[in-house]
Amino acid sequence: MKKQSEPNLSCVPERFKVLMLSWEFPPRVIGGIAAHVHDLSIAMNKLGIDVTVVTCDFPGAKSYEDVDGVHVHRVDSYKFPTPNFASWVFMMNLNMQRYAIELVAEEVRRGQVILIHCHDWLVANAAISLKHIFRMPLLATIHSTEYGRRGGIHSDYQRLIHQAEAWLTKEAWRVICCSNYMASQVNTIFNLPRTKIDIIPNAVNATNFAPVPPSHLRTRFAEDDEKLVLYVGRLVYEKGVSVLIDSVSRVLQRVNAKFVIVGDGYMKDRLIDQAQRLGISHKVCFTGFLNDQDVKGLYRVADVCVVPSLYEPFGIVALEAMASQTPVVASGVGGLSEIIEHDETGVSVYPSDPESLARGILRLLEDDGYSSRLRRNGFLKVVNRYDWERVAGETGDVCNRVFTEYEKASWKPWKV
Amino acid sequence: MGEQAVYVATLSQSLVARDVDVHVVTFQDGGDGAIHELEGIKVSRITNPIETHVNILTWDLALMTEFERLSSDILYSAKGDIDLIDAHEWTCVSAALLLKRAFNLPFLYTIHSLEEHRSNFAQDPLNIAIHNLEHLGVVEADRILVKSPWMKSQIRRIHGDFTTKIDVVSADSPRWIGEVLKTYEKTKRT
Repeated sequence: MKKQSEPNLSCVPERFKVLMLSWEFPPRVIGGIAAHVHDLSIAMNKLGIDVTVVTCDFPGAKSYEDVDGVHVHRVDSYKFPTPNFASWVFMMNLNMQRYAIELVAEEVRRGQVILIHCHDWLVANAAISLKHIFRMPLLATIHSTEYGRRGGIHSDYQRLIHQAEAWLTKEAWRVICCSNYMASQVNTIFNLPRTKIDIIPNAVNATNFAPVPPSHLRTRFAEDDEKLVLYVGRLVYEKGVSVLIDSVSRVLQRVNAKFVIVGDGYMKDRLIDQAQRLGISHKVCFTGFLNDQDVKGLYRVADVCVVPSLYEPFGIVALEAMASQTPVVASGVGGLSEIIEHDETGVSVYPSDPESLARGILRLLEDDGYSSRLRRNGFLKVVNRYDWERVAGETGDVCNRVFTEYEKASWKPWKV
Repeated sequence: MGEQAVYVATLSQSLVARDVDVHVVTFQDGGDGAIHELEGIKVSRITNPIETHVNILTWDLALMTEFERLSSDILYSAKGDIDLIDAHEWTCVSAALLLKRAFNLPFLYTIHSLEEHRSNFAQDPLNIAIHNLEHLGVVEADRILVKSPWMKSQIRRIHGDFTTKIDVVSADSPRWIGEVLKTYEKTKRT
């Protein structure tokens, strides 16, 4: 009888390694996970944790590269047509599994413990498979939920994703959520014990938002006598952009302003129609997708940044604006209500309420002293609380806890 | 659902009669994965970890992750004393090839039918995905077992020339189980 190769785990390694699975990583940027995994992995590496990222390929990007000490592997993301996005996700996961299995097998043969860190349901299949095949601990970060994104579960397609998310949280050793709001939602909708959840916020690198933009940037989007009200994000229902459009005429009754909407999404045409119907299209500029440099520049030149979300697990745009020292008006939903302390670090308004939103915007546009105080406080909060070094340290603590518990467990690759 | 169930049951019984230790991992709605012994065959029936699906592809690939979990547990319990995986049809390809890679296990792919024939040459995205899984199995398998020379020729036409690793073993042959065991031996040697 032929025996399989038996990894020897009799000597528990002093250090574990982290294998992050993510469907996006720069330059492939689709949502917020790419920037999160990029910044987190680099910050963890700086703390001395060995991090490898396995992600999807992207035209022009190398299949392997060292990104500030992080090993990044890009795998074939399955380019054939599929019946729908979920089917593509499952096929992509198979490709990710096939690749990652070789990486993990090599480390396990060396007696190394690999902590698999999975970001969202999009890589759940690969992560769960690796966990069981190698008997390695699995850590999951739930960035958002299908239930939250859709305002409930209304179809079998959504139920499939919802159940995949639930499966991942059940299989994970521990689950990281970015806010109390998300922890509460994950606890409720997946029946996941609260004791299994760690709350670690997202972060921003404030120095990336410090450079002063070229003087002509503002004039590309607004006249000199117009205040610039900025929105940055996807143009999808849950971001509440239609509420912002509904608030425009109320603001214009008192202040001359230009509303600059940066981003793209399936609601773009509907929002353009809405602005035309309301007769304010000359005051609303839909820029579409802008490069990183222009977005950061706009944060710096804007008079107000508006985050009108109806659902928001965290609210990274609010942090980016605060890091740029731009005052923020945000609806009091989800993670936003934990970032924005009303009248201290920003203005919190009622969600889905154009009147409340307009009042919040006007408060900042009409009171320079109030606006300056919020700029300052917001910036200090970002630097002190939402710093990558701190967040990476907290994530490292969770990894250490998982690793310590794993060491004590009898569940190991081979009984030695 | 099809004749595959009967084939695998007959194969398992015949192998047990030849003192071969057989563990079958299969699907059953609500199955808990516990090992039940049926006429000497160890059978584990497992349910899909995701209840709702939009097509057979997501259903299969989610189920295969559970197959991987259960099969890994069996392998760990057996301390690696398993000789090969015999995966039946495209539905089991993903689990088989991952277990092969992780545990260095020989992988025999038994092909009962092909997507091109089942779908009457349809080229919808779902058929393409199933065809691709089938192709992955043909490429990654150490050996392939089919029941007729015609099927062997069809694999060559559809998936390329893998004929040197294909064995034709007719289920009607009186020497059938002996021929299957010969293929198992060849698979183990690869």
